[in-house]
Parts: sequence; C-alpha cells; structure tokens
Amino acid sequence: MTTDTIQAAPPRNRVQGNRKQGNRKQARRNTLIGWTFILPNFLGFLAFTLIPVLAAFALAFMEWTSFSAPKWVGLANFERMLGSDSFWVALRNTLLYALGHVPLTLALALILAMLLNRKLKGIGYFRVAIFFPYITSLVAVAVVWNMLFSPDSGPINQFLQFVGVANPPGWTSSSDWAMPAVILTSVWRDMGYYMILYLAGLQAIPTELYEAAEVDGASAWQRFWNVTLPSLRPTTFFVVVMLTVSSFKVFDLIVVMTNGGPGRSTTVLSQLIYQEGIGEGKFGYSSAISLVLFLIVLTVTVLQFKLQQRRER
Amino acid sequence: MKRTTLAAIALAATVSLGLTACAGAAGPAETADAGGKTTLSVSVWNYEGTPEFKALFDGYEAAHPDVNIEPVDILADDYPQKVTTMLAGGDTTDVLTMKNVIDYSRYANNGQLQEINGVVDSLDKGNLAGLDAFNLDGKYFAAPYRQDFWLLYYNKDLFKAAGLEEPKNITWDQYAELAKKLAGTSADGKKVYGTYQHYWRSTVQAIAAAQNNGDLIGGDYTFARDQYNMTLDLQKSGAMMDFGTAMSQKTSYRTMFETAQTAMMPMGSWYISGIVAAKQAGKSNVNWGLAQLPQKSAGGNTTTFGSPTAFAVNKNAKHSDEAKKFIEWAAGAEGAKAIAKIGVVPALQTEDVTAEYFKLPGLPTDELSKAAFSPDKTVLEMPVSDKSAATDKILTQEHELIMVGERSVGDGIAEMGKRVKDEVLK
Repeated sequence: MTTDTIQAAPPRNRVQGNRKQGNRKQARRNTLIGWTFILPNFLGFLAFTLIPVLAAFALAFMEWTSFSAPKWVGLANFERMLGSDSFWVALRNTLLYALGHVPLTLALALILAMLLNRKLKGIGYFRVAIFFPYITSLVAVAVVWNMLFSPDSGPINQFLQFVGVANPPGWTSSSDWAMPAVILTSVWRDMGYYMILYLAGLQAIPTELYEAAEVDGASAWQRFWNVTLPSLRPTTFFVVVMLTVSSFKVFDLIVVMTNGGPGRSTTVLSQLIYQEGIGEGKFGYSSAISLVLFLIVLTVTVLQFKLQQRRER
Repeated sequence: MKRTTLAAIALAATVSLGLTACAGAAGPAETADAGGKTTLSVSVWNYEGTPEFKALFDGYEAAHPDVNIEPVDILADDYPQKVTTMLAGGDTTDVLTMKNVIDYSRYANNGQLQEINGVVDSLDKGNLAGLDAFNLDGKYFAAPYRQDFWLLYYNKDLFKAAGLEEPKNITWDQYAELAKKLAGTSADGKKVYGTYQHYWRSTVQAIAAAQNNGDLIGGDYTFARDQYNMTLDLQKSGAMMDFGTAMSQKTSYRTMFETAQTAMMPMGSWYISGIVAAKQAGKSNVNWGLAQLPQKSAGGNTTTFGSPTAFAVNKNAKHSDEAKKFIEWAAGAEGAKAIAKIGVVPALQTEDVTAEYFKLPGLPTDELSKAAFSPDKTVLEMPVSDKSAATDKILTQEHELIMVGERSVGDGIAEMGKRVKDEVLK
C-alpha cells in the first residue's frame, strides 16, 4: 500500500512547467466537483436554516405579527426582555439545567464507558442496554418517567418511603424538585450516547501506555489520572461542547414532562421563545430572545475552544 | 471519465431537486370546477376524528348537488399556527373554521376575514348561542354552528349504591358534600373518587368567572377564591384525585368516568358524543346521566361557561358567495340537525334541534339530563382580546402553583393579578 502511494504521486520536480496549467485546471475541476457534491445539502441548509436564522436576527429589531409588514422598533424588544421577569426566570432555569445536566452526564458517561470497556461476558448486551434510552422516543421516555415520579403512587416515591424517607419529594408537582426530576431524566436518556463516544476514545488509547505505567508501579487510580484522562482530552472536549450546546437548547423533554411548570419552575429559554412567538404571535420579541440565546451559546462555546487551545499549548 | 460521469449525476440530482422544490412551492393546485360543480374548500382539523365536519359536508352536498366540498385537513394541535401561516401566505381556501374565539379576533382584526353581516342577519339570531362572541363593533366575520358548554356528568349506579338522589340543581356546597359521601370503594374493591375535576385552569377559573361576573383578563381574580377553596378542600379530603398525581400521570378524564373511577365530573358537552361512542364500541358500560353545572346559590338561573366554534370566509376566498351560502346553511336549522344527529351540540338551540339531539341512541333520556341541556346562560370561556393568550399563560402557571399547594389561595390570586397587571396590561 505504502509503495503504491509513493509511486502514484506526481514526479513534481521533473515536469514542472508544462503541467502547471493542467494542475490548475484539475484543481478548479476538483473544486467544482466538490461544490456539486455539497450543493444539494447546502441549498437545503441555505433555504431552511441560514436564511431563516438571519431573518430572525433582523426580526429581533422589529415588531411583526405575521399578517402586516414588520415594523422597525430598534432595541425596544431587548428593553422589554431585560425588564421582563419571565425572561430572567427562564434564563436562570436554563443555566440551572445546564449546570446539572452537563457534569452529571459527563461523569456517568465516562464511568459507564470505563466499566464497559473490558472483556466481559455479554458486554454487547450491556452496551446496548445503556445506549437504548437514546434511541427511544422522547415522548415515551417523558411520559413514563412522569409516571415514575408521580408523587403519591409513583414507584420512585414508594421505594423512597419503603427505605424510610418519610416525606419524599413531590418531583414534577413541586417547584423545587421539578428541575432535578427533568435533569435526572435527561441524564438517563443522554448518557448512553456519550458513553459510546467515550468508549471510542478509550479504545484509541495505546495499551503500551498502561503497560509502561504499570511497570513504573503506578496504581490504578494513578493510571486513570495520568494516562486515561489526558488521553481522553479531545473526546472530553467534544463531549463538553456538544452537551453544553444541547443543554442550552433543551425543549422537547421539558415540554412533554412539565410544560414549564409547576408555575414557571422549569420554563427554559427555548420554551419561552416558542410561547412568545408561536403561542402569542410576537415574532419580533421572540426573535430577540433567540438572538440572546444564540449569543450565550456562542460565547460559552468560544470560551471552551479558547480554554482547550491554551491547554494544548 | 468516471469522475465526469459522477459529476454529471451529482449535477443532475441537484438541478432536479431544485426543480421539485420550486414545483412544491408553487402553492395549492387549482380546484377544478369539473362538470359544472363548484369545489368549495373548507379548513378543518383532524377530519377523521371530528365527525361533525363530515356530517355537515355530506348534508350540504346532498342539499346542493352543484357543490363539492373539499376539506383541507390540518393537525388539530397545529391548527391555529397553520391557519396563520396559510393566511399570511395569501392562501385561497374558501371557508375557515374558527376553532376558538381568540384566534377569530386575531384574524378578523388583521383584516383576514370577510364581513358577513348579511348572513348573520338571515339567521335565527335569538336562538344562536355564542353569536355575541363574534360581534366586533357591530360587524360579524364568522357565524357559530356549534356551541359547547359545561355541565355535570354523573354515574347513576354509584349514586344509587350510596343511596343518594340525582344531583338536580345543586350548589357547589352540596356538590362538595356529595363528593365526600360518594368517595370510597366500589363493590368490586376499586377506589372510587367522589368527583374528578380535570387539571385545566378553566375547571376552577372559568366556572368562577362565569358565576361571579368575574373578568378573566381584568387583573383582579378575587372572584375565584371560593371555587379554589372548595376544590383544594375536596383534594385534601381525598374525595378528588389530587392535582399533582393527575398532572404527572396525564390522567385521562375519559378513563376516569368511563371506568367508574369517579362518581361525578364537571366537563364540556363535547364529551357526550365521546361517551356514546365508547359505549357503542363496548369500551364502557357506565350508566350515566347529565345534570346542570352546580351553582353558587340555590334557586337562581343556571349559569355555565363554554365556547362556540364558527365558520368564516377567507378574504382571499375563490368562491365567496358559495362560502357564505354554506355558512348560512351550517349555522341554520339544517346544519344544526345534521350535527345534532351525531351527538355534537349545535349553536342553534331550538326545541326542534334539542328533540333531534335526544333521538341519538345511547343518550340518557331522563328529565334531568334533558333539562341540563338547556342552561339559562352560557358565558364565554375567555374574553376576546389581543391580551387573552398572554393572560392565559400566566393564569395557567399560577393555577398550577395553587393546586400543588405551593401558594395559598390568597397569595396565588394576588400573584395572578400582579403578574397580569405587570406583564400584560401595562
């Protein structure tokens, strides 16, 4: 294989002059073919994602009810947003959700990946079992967990009472416990997916490193801390970025499980955007909130990239 | 050469995709007026599961052989959003069904509907329930053909087993007392609740507003205090399933009543056809009856709440005159009888229509059930205003907090008023 590749490479220094033009033509053709391949996808992206997103950014500075022409209002939407109690409640809830969801999913995915990264009888079964929630219909997941969390007759509280908890939490029917209930459900659902990513990362670590560490007398904990974790850094970075972005965008699970309630205790930003825009027809105002959500996600992601770069240096 | 072929295929694929996209965006196909027939398009939701539409269309087509009605079927949950998008895009569907009054006022105030005062004037205005809701400064842009209102469903067997009389003209105090007496265990050992109040905020708030002349978009909700206190007391006593459980289990009110898990249930009249269908299909054997919605005090008029469903003519309709004729028919006696036959409550309330309604096999035929069918006054569920949707959201959120016991009735009602004033009325 290696010899083939070397032979196939053009003998550059011998016939430079007369092939230069041909190369350029070839390069242009290659580019064109490349464009042709991505064009179908890109057209869809352009029509259904990029243009609408840009239009939404413009709408953030307008007032529009979808019937009459949009009216320019400058920063009025943003002023209204900053003065609105509901916006701050939703922002706080979104941050709370991210703070719970990201570290918990990360930790559990890593632990599960370590446990399932060994030769074990029936390992395939366990891996599939952990991954399964991720490919299960989200509505079904939300409805079933809702029943498990049911305050009086739910199995979770019956178990808690059985082990001696006198006053188990009200979960989705309590403002204080609804968010933890939602976070637990989403962690359970997502950890399988990220476990697969970690498994791939773990299997890419050369065994020589572990052997060398063992020869040097490193304990299991030291091997994890000094070999596994550093080798997994690229995977961890990817997982953290993906998890953060998805946490800030969470919508479906919360809508089905609590619909933002009780009260406003689990209303998140994306849900507020939906309510204000689709629900009440205030498309300008809801675009302003979505612009803010976009900027938050962008800032957090850029920060993460910066941190990663510094660490690599 | 292989590469060239590939590139050509890719290019061809792109172009054809682009073309189909264009063809798809070209808008609704022209309705063919084949054989001299006019094709009238009507926007509907969940055509299969909402039999009133088929009943109306079949009836109209039979009476008017020159018209062919084509339903434009839309997913029920997406209906308002989809119609909004259609109208904003200049859609030419002739007749638009108004699923609720709040959407109606949005479309009408934005100039999307034709004024149909001529049609309304030719109708039996005095007996057309819910017509007032469509009056916008003397102009009507839609006419109601259906009017649902709330009444009390009760399980006759459970009443008999507890040795209680039918709940005729009762007050809320009597209702609470009955619920507590009826709660317990059935003959076959199942838990039975005295009553079931579904978790919607209207179950408490709209009843309170209708019977106390309260204004749900006004910013003062003290009128709902007694209704909340009574409901919370029932919940605490165990005579009613508690709110948290009902919400987390997404309890179905139909299951509660059809499997005799509750003895009473305040609910809208749309459910009548639901029980009839369930019994015909052999899914339920509940022995049921209807009674008037309980009242604040005894001896007065029966006041309940409800909301009408109506037809309107699109501003861009292709067949405006035919559309108006259809509405005149649907909101009139013929249309009313067509839907009464399948158990849907028509907006036109005359003795003829009620008689037609009670011919439906499976309906209870006792005097109380028939009396319950004609309340003295039906108040609109939610007043029409451009602030209704925003107010509804706040009222729902605070309702949940009161019902799960996180806010006292007084605090919750105060918070409702404060938030509506701050966030909506300001």
